[in-house]
Amino acid sequence: MEVQSEHASGEIKHLQRCINDLISLLALPAIWSGGDPSQVLHTLLDALMRMLRLDLVSVRLTDLVGGAPVEIVRLAELRGRVPSAHEICEALSQCLENDSRKWPPLLRNLMGEGDVSIVPLPLGLQGELGVIVAAAERTDFPRQTEALLLSVAANQASIGLQEARLLSHQKRLASELDQRVVQRTAELATANEELKKEFAERRLVEERLGQEEMELKRSEVRKAAIVDSALDCVVTIDHEGCITEFNPAAEHTFGYPREEVLGKHLPDVIIPPSLREKHQQGFARYLATGEAQVLGKRIEMTAVRADGSEFPVELAVTRIPLEGPPSFTGHLRDITERKRAEQELRRSQAFLAEAQHLSRTGSFSWRVATDEITWSEQLYRMFQIDRDAQVTFELICTRIHPEDLSVFQEHIERSRRDRSDVQLEFRLQMPDGAVKYVHVAAHIRGDHGQPEYIGAVQDVTERRSSEEALSKARSELSQVARVTSLGVLTASIAHEVNQPLSGIITNAGTCLRMLAADPPNVEGARETVRRTIRDGNRAADVISRLRALYSKKEPTIESVDLNEATREVLALSLSELQRNRVIVQQELVDDLPLVAGDRVQLQQVILNLLRNASDAMSTIDDRPRDLLIRTEPDDDDRVRLSVSDVGIGFEPQATDKLFEAFYTTKDEGMGIGLSVSRSIIERHHGRLWAMPNSGPGVTFSFSVPCKVEGLTSDSARASRTPSVSDAA
Amino acid sequence: MELRQERRAVDRPLVSVVDDDESVRESLPDLLGELGFAARTFSSAEEFLASDCLDQARCLILDIAMPGMSGPDLQRELKLRGQEIPIIFITASTDKSTRPRLLEQGAVECLFKPFSDTALLKAINTAFHRK
Repeated sequence: MEVQSEHASGEIKHLQRCINDLISLLALPAIWSGGDPSQVLHTLLDALMRMLRLDLVSVRLTDLVGGAPVEIVRLAELRGRVPSAHEICEALSQCLENDSRKWPPLLRNLMGEGDVSIVPLPLGLQGELGVIVAAAERTDFPRQTEALLLSVAANQASIGLQEARLLSHQKRLASELDQRVVQRTAELATANEELKKEFAERRLVEERLGQEEMELKRSEVRKAAIVDSALDCVVTIDHEGCITEFNPAAEHTFGYPREEVLGKHLPDVIIPPSLREKHQQGFARYLATGEAQVLGKRIEMTAVRADGSEFPVELAVTRIPLEGPPSFTGHLRDITERKRAEQELRRSQAFLAEAQHLSRTGSFSWRVATDEITWSEQLYRMFQIDRDAQVTFELICTRIHPEDLSVFQEHIERSRRDRSDVQLEFRLQMPDGAVKYVHVAAHIRGDHGQPEYIGAVQDVTERRSSEEALSKARSELSQVARVTSLGVLTASIAHEVNQPLSGIITNAGTCLRMLAADPPNVEGARETVRRTIRDGNRAADVISRLRALYSKKEPTIESVDLNEATREVLALSLSELQRNRVIVQQELVDDLPLVAGDRVQLQQVILNLLRNASDAMSTIDDRPRDLLIRTEPDDDDRVRLSVSDVGIGFEPQATDKLFEAFYTTKDEGMGIGLSVSRSIIERHHGRLWAMPNSGPGVTFSFSVPCKVEGLTSDSARASRTPSVSDAA
Repeated sequence: MELRQERRAVDRPLVSVVDDDESVRESLPDLLGELGFAARTFSSAEEFLASDCLDQARCLILDIAMPGMSGPDLQRELKLRGQEIPIIFITASTDKSTRPRLLEQGAVECLFKPFSDTALLKAINTAFHRK
């Protein structure tokens, strides 16, 4: 009984311990929470060693974290030698198969001498986690409770391991994830960095592009402003010759608004129709061959405005240096003004040269300070000095006549000193010995710093010699004129007398023949004699008139019929007038009052006026030499006679001089007639004057008082009769 | 003389006289009649040209200085018209230098007034002879 009770109390104690161990084991997972498998196994193995009197406990984990199998061994302090954990593992793996279920319960001489009871405890449902091996030398091993404890411990370990494994796996996953996140983050960071870099680069490029674009824009605006404000016309065309640009100057010059001509064919717009074809050919040739006659040159051509008027332009064409089909820009300038100015200049130069040549006048300038002398072309000619020669006083002096040289030099020195105007005449002597007279006139101009003489040199040689010749000719002329007028008079008298004489002789001859006939023609003879007497009287008349006209007898006052006196003078001078191709018209008014005066003297005046008129027309060939002589009553009981011609006339201011002795407009003649005529008329209490006609020529008139009561025209006629009968 | 007088006027050779001086126009026809010629007178060259005498006259007595067309002017005009009438010039001028010039131009004679009837007859005979 006692033994039984003792046995019972021991059993109870054992069970109690077993329950405590069980509780400890069951609490293990709480301790393991968050731990790793090795910690699970260590605590488990320590707990098993402590709870059971084991000699050995080992664990082998087949696949803990994908790494090599883990083996942990716990050994009790055994007698004798103590094998290493490694040796034990080796021994275990040699004697045990992989499948723990086939393991034997006893292993002999596992750790030297003696048998060892082993309990394999698979981990996991199929032992896939590994295996725990508990071993003891005791023979009672494992007791029932011990087996239970080991089984629970194995379960707990499996759970713990699973959890740890899961945890580890999770951790691993988390770590992997972290790592991947980190890696990805790093990659992203790198990518980001690269993007940033790329972005920065791109921005740099964009900025540069922007700047360039801005520059380009700015430059375009600048260029547009230049083109728009250019004074020259700027026109651009494409490869087809169509206008692509037309600046304001072009609009203004050609008279087209820009919009109207853009896209139009350039030649149709600004090139005159006559030149279009040529332009087209040139353009086509350039496009075909690349050779251009106008590119890069300044050429002058004719352009046409919108209104069709043509004008000269200067043109410079350049090719626009761009890729693609060629385009051109043309700069055109209206050079009408320039051309006109050039022409004006050329013309005035030509005028000047011609004027200098014709007037034999050259011009010069002389800078006093430097003795710089400039000559016009005519001066070189006048001095017979080569056009290219440098003009110096030394050179000039070689042409001065030796006798005038000192005078010339003296004048130059005085001009240099006084700077007064120069008037000088001297002679030149040419290399061939010919002498020229020149007249120099110069005045000084310019400020005192740069005084300069400007002057003219005229070749007066011809004037000099003609002056000399003229004075000689004058003295000869007066003599010749005297002789000539006598000859003219004689011829005139002869002509007037020969006419009636001719009649007389013819009639006399006829008379003789008629009387000599058989039978004599007495009636015819009588008629011829009658005519002979008449012609004889005519001849006598002429002689007496001439004698009266040219005699120097004292004037006699009588009643004079101016009409009749005029007719007589005309009869005397008609043939001479006709010879001079003068066409005489008479307008002698009827019932003209008689005048008191010397008939012959008045006739002398009339004759003189007729002669003058005839002479004034002697060179007139482009119109009829009409002479009009008229008589008419004048105011204040006067009678007027006038003679009009269509001759060369005279200067209005010369009217007073006309009546001066020796004044004459005639090349020949003495010019004494008019002054004598005037004195005759004045003796008759009348006046004589001259008036230029409204057309060509002059009218000379005299006006004399009518006769006072008492004298009649009958008595005037009677006074003349004796002279006729005298002559007969 | 008798023979000449018996000839009818229409048979006589016609001599034309052109002179602006009336005394010549009056006196010459009678003399020409006495010399056996028919005569017609004209006071100007223009009058003569307008007449039917151009073809009939066998001789022309022509004054040099006349108003309008002068004697030499008429001579030139006749030459232009192809009328070969022999011309005897007469003139009151004393300028002898005109004579050779006129003869050179084809005139038969140039008589200075006053001239004798024999000189005139000689000239007319020369003119007829030339024809």
